[in-house]
Amino acid sequence: MKEDEDPRAAAPSLEKREQQSGRLPGDRYVRIVRPGGREFKRQGGTYLATDRVFTARGPVAGAWDRLRTTLIGRRLGSDAEADERVSKKTGLAILASDNISSSAYATEETMRILALAGVGALTLTMPIALAVTAVLAIVVISESRVIRAYPNGGGSYLVALENHGVIAGLVAASALLIDYVLTVAVSTAAGVAAISSFVPAVHEHRVLWGLALIGLITVGNLRGVREAGVLFAAPTYAYMAGMVGIIAFGIFRVAGGDIPSAPLPPVPFPEAGTQALGVLLILRAFASGSVGLTGSEAVANGVPSFKPPEARNAVITLFIMGTVFAVIFLGITFLATTIGIRPDESELETVNSMLTRSIVGAGTPFYYYVQIATAIILLLAANTGFTGFPRLASVLANDRFMPRQFADLGSRLAFNTGIVVLALTAVVVLVAFGGSVTALVPLYTIGVFLAFTLSQSGLVRRWYRLRNPGWRISIAINSIGAAVTGVVLVVVAATKFALGAWIVLIVLPILVLLLYLVHRHYQDVHDALVLPTLELKLPPSVPPVVIVPIARLDRAAVQALSFARSISPSVKAVHVSTTREGAEAFRKRWAKWDPDIPLDVIESPYRSLLTPLLHYIDAIDKADEQPITVVLAEFVPRHWWEFILHSQTAFRLKANLLFRRNTIIIDVPYHFEDGARIT
Amino acid sequence: MHLKRILVALSGASVDPDVIRYAVTLAKPTKAELIGVHVIEVRWNLPLDAVLENELNRGEELLDSAVKIAEQAGGKLETELLQAREASAAILDTARERQVDLVIVGMPYRNRMGKTYVGKTVQDVYVGATCAVLAYRQEQPQ
Repeated sequence: MKEDEDPRAAAPSLEKREQQSGRLPGDRYVRIVRPGGREFKRQGGTYLATDRVFTARGPVAGAWDRLRTTLIGRRLGSDAEADERVSKKTGLAILASDNISSSAYATEETMRILALAGVGALTLTMPIALAVTAVLAIVVISESRVIRAYPNGGGSYLVALENHGVIAGLVAASALLIDYVLTVAVSTAAGVAAISSFVPAVHEHRVLWGLALIGLITVGNLRGVREAGVLFAAPTYAYMAGMVGIIAFGIFRVAGGDIPSAPLPPVPFPEAGTQALGVLLILRAFASGSVGLTGSEAVANGVPSFKPPEARNAVITLFIMGTVFAVIFLGITFLATTIGIRPDESELETVNSMLTRSIVGAGTPFYYYVQIATAIILLLAANTGFTGFPRLASVLANDRFMPRQFADLGSRLAFNTGIVVLALTAVVVLVAFGGSVTALVPLYTIGVFLAFTLSQSGLVRRWYRLRNPGWRISIAINSIGAAVTGVVLVVVAATKFALGAWIVLIVLPILVLLLYLVHRHYQDVHDALVLPTLELKLPPSVPPVVIVPIARLDRAAVQALSFARSISPSVKAVHVSTTREGAEAFRKRWAKWDPDIPLDVIESPYRSLLTPLLHYIDAIDKADEQPITVVLAEFVPRHWWEFILHSQTAFRLKANLLFRRNTIIIDVPYHFEDGARIT
Repeated sequence: MHLKRILVALSGASVDPDVIRYAVTLAKPTKAELIGVHVIEVRWNLPLDAVLENELNRGEELLDSAVKIAEQAGGKLETELLQAREASAAILDTARERQVDLVIVGMPYRNRMGKTYVGKTVQDVYVGATCAVLAYRQEQPQ
């Protein structure tokens, strides 16, 4: 290339313009040729990679691609992101299923604690349910303000981060991440338990069933938010319809004076109770009922999943969710206490089942409908974790608190890394706790209330700082929210500590520390790599010192040496031999070939090839201040399975040199077809 | 006539999809190759190999959609994007170079003073081609 030529003109291009002469003297024309075919498309001044670049090459890749497409679906372009947003109807199903499903067991959890003080204490179920609903109302109103203040999602994490600082933000984020994992584990375990009520054989292999169900929900979510919504919407609405129907019919019967008779549970709690009814027991009952509040944070965290106007749609969904939960929870509690249903100590039959049985009769189609719908929604509540965790992880990854892979959208515009990591973690938790709901539940809810408290108090600080119109009302609402959720947090942590909540309190600070360390690493990398200014010119290049390890004098070696000579005049070949005869034979052969490249032959009587070579490179490096370039001749077999027939010394050397300072490794692969170019 | 190779001239007009489907129908019995050609006409005040971003984008898009239409019709279309001073000359030269047996050109339904209007490119291809030429005139829109 001449000095005055623009180096960019000689650079390889995706587009070639071939001048063609026509039949007549003036009929010249230009053919625009794309070596890459239709894999790249012009778009303004840039090239756009089309879906053709993903066309599988080879039968194995093709089979894998077909399997992947069957399971997960075809790839979606980034412009389809708007189509992947969910409506309020679908959003309610995928983001609120956890909270709504809690209504199936919140009443029972409260009653089971109160029943310890005797049947008479069950009269307190309704007041406690009202208190839980009041807390939910405060949470919903407060969360709606979080959505309006932070419409880009992130929920409690962002609020705490901006208003309380990094540590509080990380505490909120860690608490939510832990809770999402537990949501998946608990919901799956509860769903399997509900199935085993119908099919007792399932109980024996409940962990395996749990794993299979987590796998199923994982695949559903890898297909993208919209498809997951379509898959999971029907069961949520079926449950809502079933519960509202049973409550309406029950109230109709009670209002008409036709109060159904209460069925006796298989193993009733002792009439007189085993514990005294004190403040602590009432607080425990309240804490157990508060399990119904879990999942209410998912909507605020998932605002960007909604169709525009995102914030408005999220707020409406949040209010619908709160209303649906309150109607079902209070309806079940009212009917259960009015009819006089008592919880079953053996956990063989749920309060929900007994209530449905007493209102519509056992064995009726509606009874089975409600039970099956309840089992499915309990199972699908796990999906809320799959919606919340990957999104929160992506926000953390964008803020450099989690590995960057968590922020990458997969082929279906879902956060695949987050989905897979959540599934694997939930699997570990499920296996560790043997798939038992009773063992898992005490770990639950602490994270949610910790995040709530931090976000509510964070908003108080925000309103005080900004002092926008109406700031006093906002402060009042969020102060009440912070106080109430803070009290619930203390109550839940105190009453569940010995039962397993301590595990969360240990894991939480460890996770905070991990997130912090990840951030520090990214900060260090940023400081080391960032260009201070764009006025920087490319530094003048000096030809490097090149070492070419040669195992045999063959075509691959010749190709590597030829390349090494093309990048520098300072090339040295090195051969390691395990025998004296071998070393001598190689030296003679080299001298006969005479490539005008100096050769060092090393004899290795301890038969190691790699270690002497690494030490040789060290020695050369000490003698020369320039970076060392090692050019490796690597033979590439025709098929992947042929790799095991070769020692792959080049590969091992590459692995050893990867972290060596001041060393550039260049791999010169030699394929079978390359032979034609050398002869 | 045993067709081995058919060139389809594509201008981006509304008649193009009909022309492609018709070409696929003609190519099927003899498994003839189909070559879709779009020519970007370069004004005389510009160099012949000037990079005309908008025209290139449009040309690529219409060739992409032509490939899809051919696939939907059960055929396979190879495409070429050319730049020339006159589209007809480039079409004729490509037809000669690729040794095509038939050139198909599309004529959008157009009337001038009650007479069917045949564009200059169609006329020049008709007159200058050494192989068979088929001009596909679009139906009168309903």
